[in-house]
Amino acid sequence: MNRKLFVKRRQLLKLAAAGGMAYAFGRLPDAVYAQAVNAYARFADYKALVCVFLFGGNDSWNMVVPRSAAEYQAYQLARQNLAVDQASLLPITPVAPLPNGAAIGLHPSMPEIATLFEQDAACALIANVGPLITSTSLAQYQARSVPLPPQLFSHNDQQDQWHSLRGLAQANTGWAGRISDALGTQTGPAIPLNVSLSGQTLFQAGESAGSYVIGPTGPVEFFGLDGTDALSVARKSGFEAVARAAYGTLYERAYAGVQQRALDSAQAVNAALATVRVPNPVPFATPFPPSPLGTQLKTVAEMIAVRGTLQASRQIFFVATGGFDSHDDQAQDQPGLLANVSACLDAFYRATVEMGIAQDVTAFTQSDFGRTLTSNGDGTDHAWGGVQLVVGGAVHGKSVYGSYPVLRLGATLAADGADDVGGGRFIPTTSSDQYAATLARWFGVLDADLARIAPGIDNFTQRDLGFMS
Amino acid sequence: MGSLLLGSRPRLALVMAAGLLATACGGSGSPGGDNPPPPPPPPPAGVSKTEAFAFLNQATFGATEAEAQRLQSLGDASNAYARWIDAQLQQPVSLQLPHVQAVYATLPQPVQNIGRLNNDRVDIWFRNVVNGPDQLRQRVAFALSEIMVVSQQSALQNTPYALADYYDLLARDAFGDFRQLMEDVTLHPAMGVYLSMLGNQKPDAARNIRPDENYARELMQLFTIGLVQLNLDGTPATDSEGQTVPVYDQSVIEGFAHVYTGWNWAGAASFGQARPSLQNQVQPMQAYAVQHDPGAKKLLSYAGAALVGIPARNPADPARDLDDALDNIFHHPNVAPFISKQLIQRLVTSNPSPAYVQRVAQVFNNDGTGRRGNLAAVVRAVLLDAQARSAPDATTAGKLKEPLLRVTQLWRAYGARSQSGRYNVQSPAAVAGQGPLQAPSVFNFFSPFYAPPGEVADRDLVAPEMQITTEYLATLLTNYFFVQTFCYTSAPVTGCPAVRPEVRPDLVFIDVSAEMALANDPAALVTRIAGKLLGGEISGTLAAQARAAIERAPASLGGLKVAEALYLIASSPEFAAQR
Repeated sequence: MNRKLFVKRRQLLKLAAAGGMAYAFGRLPDAVYAQAVNAYARFADYKALVCVFLFGGNDSWNMVVPRSAAEYQAYQLARQNLAVDQASLLPITPVAPLPNGAAIGLHPSMPEIATLFEQDAACALIANVGPLITSTSLAQYQARSVPLPPQLFSHNDQQDQWHSLRGLAQANTGWAGRISDALGTQTGPAIPLNVSLSGQTLFQAGESAGSYVIGPTGPVEFFGLDGTDALSVARKSGFEAVARAAYGTLYERAYAGVQQRALDSAQAVNAALATVRVPNPVPFATPFPPSPLGTQLKTVAEMIAVRGTLQASRQIFFVATGGFDSHDDQAQDQPGLLANVSACLDAFYRATVEMGIAQDVTAFTQSDFGRTLTSNGDGTDHAWGGVQLVVGGAVHGKSVYGSYPVLRLGATLAADGADDVGGGRFIPTTSSDQYAATLARWFGVLDADLARIAPGIDNFTQRDLGFMS
Repeated sequence: MGSLLLGSRPRLALVMAAGLLATACGGSGSPGGDNPPPPPPPPPAGVSKTEAFAFLNQATFGATEAEAQRLQSLGDASNAYARWIDAQLQQPVSLQLPHVQAVYATLPQPVQNIGRLNNDRVDIWFRNVVNGPDQLRQRVAFALSEIMVVSQQSALQNTPYALADYYDLLARDAFGDFRQLMEDVTLHPAMGVYLSMLGNQKPDAARNIRPDENYARELMQLFTIGLVQLNLDGTPATDSEGQTVPVYDQSVIEGFAHVYTGWNWAGAASFGQARPSLQNQVQPMQAYAVQHDPGAKKLLSYAGAALVGIPARNPADPARDLDDALDNIFHHPNVAPFISKQLIQRLVTSNPSPAYVQRVAQVFNNDGTGRRGNLAAVVRAVLLDAQARSAPDATTAGKLKEPLLRVTQLWRAYGARSQSGRYNVQSPAAVAGQGPLQAPSVFNFFSPFYAPPGEVADRDLVAPEMQITTEYLATLLTNYFFVQTFCYTSAPVTGCPAVRPEVRPDLVFIDVSAEMALANDPAALVTRIAGKLLGGEISGTLAAQARAAIERAPASLGGLKVAEALYLIASSPEFAAQR
């Protein structure tokens, strides 16, 4: 189904070629593409999605932990020396109790998330979500009688599944990239819809445009090209002439394209950012943790503050933090990792509240996979389903979506809410497609286009998980 | 010695080079069957400067005019490259560990300052790759370091001896035997720490403990065979429904995970007491049989596999199990195309033709003497292949240079030195987006499958290095070139911070004295720089813009004229690409 996109794209390319349009910069001019596919009116409002990627595979069964006696006991039995102490868990009380009546809590290093959930009702948990082609039972998994996401339990392949939702297709676009394609250029002219503060990702790769990659504190500008003296002006024009020349190899063309985008955008974005940074009045007083993730999220908040200057109506930001591949020393390392996520997401939400835009900004986590319930002595291994966090003013918070299973070794869907394929690896009961589609709909993607963003969505009955208003 | 006269005839030189190239290709083409008796063959063509640069940018850390001339002097196109490679194969290894150990001996409070040795490890890496005589070995070692990845960005930040020794291992084995490389990598404590085979214990059902699967997975997925069955030409094999075929499943990973139990730091009284020391950081891990799983273990199953599982062995025999397991992987038919293609991608081109991959993979499988995995023969096949020497499709030929290699090429071309002799680039990643043994994860700085959106992805091609060529990183490196070419030269421009080598002994300066002599001859100056950085081949646009930049700088400011032209050329797409 996703193949159709490529045909369309290829046809467009042919048209462009027939029309004598040079493919000099390795990209189809956005305007051409947008004209052909855009069915969206310019948005009058603003919305931003912020993907917080936890690289390595967050052990989310230690992030959200059962508190009630029977369920904690099953968890403790499976987790052994890696189990979080029952008394230390931060209680959270969803508006609608879990169907099995179990009580749950958060890892003790996440007090801010507990408050966001309990008091602000600005945080939702999506439980046991992960890549699926279609709903899958243990019997179907064992018999391979339904298609499965390729290369389960492998880092980069499962990251790619989260990024692309491509299932078995060979697509090289991500779901944020396809949102950009679907919305065309109706998002503001200064920079692309997709902005990354943490490098290139498949997530933001579209048919017609990639992401604009800036540093953790914003874009950097070219030295020596920004002066107003005659030499600097001439130097810049010479540099631009070289960057915009036609080249014989695709590597030169790809490189020149990056130089052009850097030339086009860095100055404008930095000039805009400067208006909300000291010595100018800053738009929020909330302090951000000094960690790399905190730094990135603070810059995202500042980018949102200057959305008007940049004429942006829709933006998707990508930020990331690593270290979650806890094969080793999990008990020592995980608390700090989760504490950082908690403090950073909290600061980001508070900053959007201060700016009066919390309703229009949604931060959500993605991660390679959940981890095994069993341990390898001092850590856990790659698994499948896990819990993700969604934070924002438009989130129907204080709620758990999907199905939070009993964390029992050998769990079954009927008795425990999810199937364990072995070692405490849970088959997801909610698909990444449903997660993405829910966010995309809130962002403004028309229902007719949802299958383009989340190609597997029609394989699931619930197209919208309901966690967004 | 560059000739001023040559400078006025760059076009002619190019045309002549192209003619020579055509002759060389015709001479080495496939034998025609039914043609009339051929005329006597023309005398073998010499290696042109452009061709020499193309080869040296594949085989070294940056072509220089001196090395190009040396290569040209070795013979004609039919034998010069092979002779150059043969000489390189004989070069002794430039090592890192002795340097790091020597610095350690000078450290006050070495134990507390151990992390500082990482800077010295990076320093000696630069010294070796910029000035070392074993260029090809270092280039292959660097390629291997991006396939069999360990990284300082991990628990290894406090074991610089282990990191230096790991890199030395790669350099030592670069022309050796792939099976030996697999074993050395597997047992090196740096890898043991990085992918948690070190300290991996046998199962303990009572505590729900099963072996760590980290190394089991990545040794196969990333270091040797990949995820799906490959044809000998590196393309994925497909089943009757056109789907790719996985090479293994979770049960195989679990089998190997059990193999890799029982290993820990060497020299301890017991598994539980093993701790790192300066000594055992550079020794292979030691097997502690009591923590090795004695049970049967599933291995890879494929046509021709000598064994597809290890039987239960009592007493537990970790070394024999490891031997069997590594043999089982080494003989998998995927290894040859998987490793051959990645070496081609690291050295020559992002998009080799399947036929090119197949020719190299055949050499991997049999070097001509019946030996499998002879890396010296593989490297030779990679570099001497007709497609490496003259690609049929100019659009996809070559690759983007790795950012770090653009730095080293500039440095090698311009005799970059610091007063202290150090290359004190503490965080190359902050300049180039990459650094030796500093990848963000075991997936390296970039994936061999990365395709940026746009033309590359649309054509189902790849450009791995583009993954770290973002607007952000490309600007950082361009700015580094700006500072290097305007300020840190033998003729810095006015307005640069007044830094003298005596005051900042670690600052790396480039020597532009030859260019300064041509500052008032714009055409000759452009030709001079293009000769050093581009092998003499420069586009009309770049040459014209560089010339204009020289001409508009005031006549009195020779340093500025040189800087303007050098900056523009060093930051150009032409210099960024490897032909």
